[in-house]
Amino acid sequence: MKISLNWLKEYVEIQMPPRELGKLLTMTGLEVEGIELVGQGLQDVIVSRIAEVKPHQRSDHLSVCQVDTGKEIIPVVCGASNAEVNALVPLALPGFSLPDGMIINETRIRGELSKGMLLAEDEIGLTDDHSGIMILPSDLVPGTSLPSVLPVSDCVFDISITPNRSDCACVIGVAREIAAITGQKIRKPQIRINETGQPIENLTGVTILDPVGCPRYSAGLIQNIEIGASPFWMRYRLYLAGVRSINNVVDVTNYVMLETGQPLHAFDYRRLKENRIVVRRADDGEVFTTLDGTTHNLNTEDLMICDGERAVALAGIMGGLNSEIIDGTRDVLIESAFFNPLTIRKGSKRLGMSTEASYRFERGADIDGTIYALKRAVSLISGLAGGETARDFIDNYPNPYVSPVIGLRIDKANRLLGMDISKDTMIGLLNALELEVNDAGENRLSVKPPSFRVDITREVDVIEEIARLNGYDKIPVTYPSIKPSEDIVNPLLVLRDRVRSAMAGFGFNEVITYAFISPDSADILDVSGESPLVSFVRLINPLSVDQSVMRTSLLPGLLATVKNNIASNEKALKLFEWGKIFIHNQNNQLPIEKTFLAAVINGLYQQKTWYSEERHVDFYDMKGVIEALLKELGLKGAVFSKEGGFPGYDPKLSSGIYYSGALIGQTGRVSPKAMEAYELKKDDTYIFELDIEQVLKIIPLKKSFKPFSKFPAVYRDISMIFERRVESADILGIIKREGGELIESVRIFDSYEGDKIAPSEKALAFSICYRSSQGTLDGAEVNQMHEAIIGRIVNETGGRLREG
Amino acid sequence: MIEQLIELEKTALKELDAVKDPSELEKLRISYLGKKGILTSLMRKVGTLPQEQRADAGRVSNLVKSNLSRRIKEVIEGIESLKPDQSAFIDVTLPGRKPLRGHLHPITLVIQEVCQIFIKMGFKIVKGPNVELDYYNFEALNLPKDHPARDMQDTFYVSDNVVLRTHTSPIQVRTMESQRPPVSIIAPGKVYRRDSDVSHTPMFHQVEGLLVDKQVSLGDLKGTLTSFVHQMFGSDTRIRFRPSFFPFTEPSAEVDIQCVICGGKGCRTCSQSGWLEILGSGMVDPEVYRFVDYDPELYSGFAFGMGIERIAMLKYGIDDIQLFFKNDMRFLKQF
Repeated sequence: MKISLNWLKEYVEIQMPPRELGKLLTMTGLEVEGIELVGQGLQDVIVSRIAEVKPHQRSDHLSVCQVDTGKEIIPVVCGASNAEVNALVPLALPGFSLPDGMIINETRIRGELSKGMLLAEDEIGLTDDHSGIMILPSDLVPGTSLPSVLPVSDCVFDISITPNRSDCACVIGVAREIAAITGQKIRKPQIRINETGQPIENLTGVTILDPVGCPRYSAGLIQNIEIGASPFWMRYRLYLAGVRSINNVVDVTNYVMLETGQPLHAFDYRRLKENRIVVRRADDGEVFTTLDGTTHNLNTEDLMICDGERAVALAGIMGGLNSEIIDGTRDVLIESAFFNPLTIRKGSKRLGMSTEASYRFERGADIDGTIYALKRAVSLISGLAGGETARDFIDNYPNPYVSPVIGLRIDKANRLLGMDISKDTMIGLLNALELEVNDAGENRLSVKPPSFRVDITREVDVIEEIARLNGYDKIPVTYPSIKPSEDIVNPLLVLRDRVRSAMAGFGFNEVITYAFISPDSADILDVSGESPLVSFVRLINPLSVDQSVMRTSLLPGLLATVKNNIASNEKALKLFEWGKIFIHNQNNQLPIEKTFLAAVINGLYQQKTWYSEERHVDFYDMKGVIEALLKELGLKGAVFSKEGGFPGYDPKLSSGIYYSGALIGQTGRVSPKAMEAYELKKDDTYIFELDIEQVLKIIPLKKSFKPFSKFPAVYRDISMIFERRVESADILGIIKREGGELIESVRIFDSYEGDKIAPSEKALAFSICYRSSQGTLDGAEVNQMHEAIIGRIVNETGGRLREG
Repeated sequence: MIEQLIELEKTALKELDAVKDPSELEKLRISYLGKKGILTSLMRKVGTLPQEQRADAGRVSNLVKSNLSRRIKEVIEGIESLKPDQSAFIDVTLPGRKPLRGHLHPITLVIQEVCQIFIKMGFKIVKGPNVELDYYNFEALNLPKDHPARDMQDTFYVSDNVVLRTHTSPIQVRTMESQRPPVSIIAPGKVYRRDSDVSHTPMFHQVEGLLVDKQVSLGDLKGTLTSFVHQMFGSDTRIRFRPSFFPFTEPSAEVDIQCVICGGKGCRTCSQSGWLEILGSGMVDPEVYRFVDYDPELYSGFAFGMGIERIAMLKYGIDDIQLFFKNDMRFLKQF
């Protein structure tokens, strides 16, 4: 909320510089987000009198004015239509620089000499009014500097009002805070009303049919007023607060709202049927047009202000088109009411209408402040628009507000704050905030908050008031004693850190992508109808279709990241993401959230360097990473089994990853459809996913040491030719089965397919390390076993020894 | 004969000392030790000596020969060591074969750092669901339906009573629901708000903290968070606590640190104030205890929450929040 310093100064003494005031407010809970000096640099703009106006000979819209500067009469060419003889107007002389940077020069405009510029309000940054040149009050003297006679120099505080402090959404509220901080009392102006009209009860009446929605309705009436523009000082303050000027009556209602926090509404009294007000709920299906021209369909929850026949305002939100103040309005009824915050909140939410009035009502206005605001408004209107003010006010207030009485325990407050504030100090602080305090025993105070502090209802609220006015900086720094936890650390978190650091060690870069994706991504991955991957959690109000469902797979985000990086010319990508996927759950309101690890490699495994040739990634690059990762996690014996059917994977080039028969993940090449969708080049994008919950089930809890043999090893090689369909895992299985405990390890040191053998064949070479834990192996014994292994391989696979 | 041998050794050693290059040395070697060399010829004569002199002359001549041979070898090595060894030249400026290490996301790094600081103080990490019941995200945090404070957070809805969590605070409620005090937890995680512009992303990260025990005070909150700020941003970072409002804490405090960009003088990042808001905090509102059945007369505690992107931006000098989720390699590899 924007608050003018000059306005504040009408209510409270302020001596300190704006920055310091800003800091004080911030440190007591009204955060000042910005301080702006306004109306500056206008010392050289002077008051001038138009002595003569003649039409410009060579223009149909310009005129040539002779202007009295107080010293001389100078010619000024002017484009405004409101330049009239004897009007006092602001004048900028040659050399003056306007806020927009334009510098005034002595110049000829279509042949006529012009020695200055008559100014509109927006041209010197005062308001946004560009309807004509600014007409100054007629009692000013030509030649005087404008800022010395008009209150243009001001300072605007942009204050962030927290939802609990609606009482501070006005000048008086902020002034009250300043008064409390600086040890003053605010001074309210004497409001004088000249009640020249009839008694108000002769003219109108208010019936409240819904006292829950409307606990208080006050109203005042002025007749025979003259609608017109508001004076500059009022328009300027409205402008600084960000409120548009409409006319003198509407401006006053807004001005008083900004000043007191009490929203007001002005009705055209003559347009109120039967000249009276009824407050009731709307009928179901009732239609109503607010003064912004919008038509609303109402229901019985909406609170309406009505006249004798029909609705005339959406209570607390906006007035109706049928009763708004127009140029011809002569009699106005001013409403100053209190509406139930929840009622206004619901209506404003449902109708999607948030106004200055609804903002204040839904956070809680001051129910005991309606009459003050009404008086202020009536006095201002009669001052600006004349008329006869009806005698007295309507004040329909069946159940006057009773402030809660809150018990405060001194020791409880000090314990919660970690302080030792005396009872007397507490009383002083609370009194400064206009809370009524009574002594209620040695350790007890009884506190009554004022009606504008609807946020204070409990002991702890009072404690906060004490703490904030006393200053948080006075609270001593202490340290809690935290009992060490005996719980074991969540294994998922341990695993996460290990996996992340392992993956980074393998050269992979971690990415974090949005958890919401486009539902199209399921089609791209070719997900079948019953797959959990299409059991989307859908957002009711997404920002866009592309972010409208929660992801069921990490792949779309990962592949899109690859696509974007390729676009910025990355040639070798290794990325991974650890994150949750979300599967809609029929049996629960909340979806199933599962943690996955997914990784992608794309492009070059190895760039060409002085020591290596360029090489594109392939299946085994990815498989190796998985194997290394599983090994790092202490998992031995994962089985890769060629199979298709994984969404997003090329069915011809993918493999399941199994552990003890359970699928824990999959790896392979990206499917052709996904390649195309994400604009990836063929053959060079491989992915894997691991279901972390599955991994967590099988991960060994601890590492244990196994003694190793002290005896020397014997190495023997086997080089054989097989049919291509024979899988190396089968051969390794035979070797280990046949060799039993004597096989320490087997390394595949060659895999060949090519010209030297038949196209249907491949050659594999194994280096076997034999070692016993019992003693040194005898060469003959090893040879015998080696031959047996070869024989077994030949028998089981149909392979043959490779010649040479 | 012996004198002759000794004299010869002396002369030869002197000549060897003067030798400069290998060819000269070779000539010298041949002139003494060659088949027709002086020493060789002299040694041949040993056999012609009288019996009683032969043994001594033989011993001396062998000694001289071995001395000369050794010396020649030394001289060769001496000469060799002076010339550069072409075969062993290495260009140490050629780039090495680097193992390529990947990088963790800066958000991960900052979360890890934040968590480590609190773990050291005795807090325990807990997690909660991203898709959350309205009850945990709002209601049990003293944010009833139709409460204006709900406007503070624009919410993604999955259904009437299921939302994407707008903060990590529901984890407070879930934790208190499942255990009795003392509670000391931190909860990092993704949060979602329906807001996307230059300075907002619809998903971001928070770390939540909660401590509930007997006799926990606002002073303890100040101590804990001051210690955190000093460990995170440096022990000379100034910090201030100022009153604020959150529905689930009372009293509430916003925590500002001295601007890390300008050092407090005022700049664009801190809107000329010299301070940066980094944490929301406060004493747990008694209303929240009511939902989890804790006795507010017996227990008190504090809660706090911070935005990780903001801290990462300050820590690394990142000026665009969108960068975190674009995952551009030129960004990622800097961390």
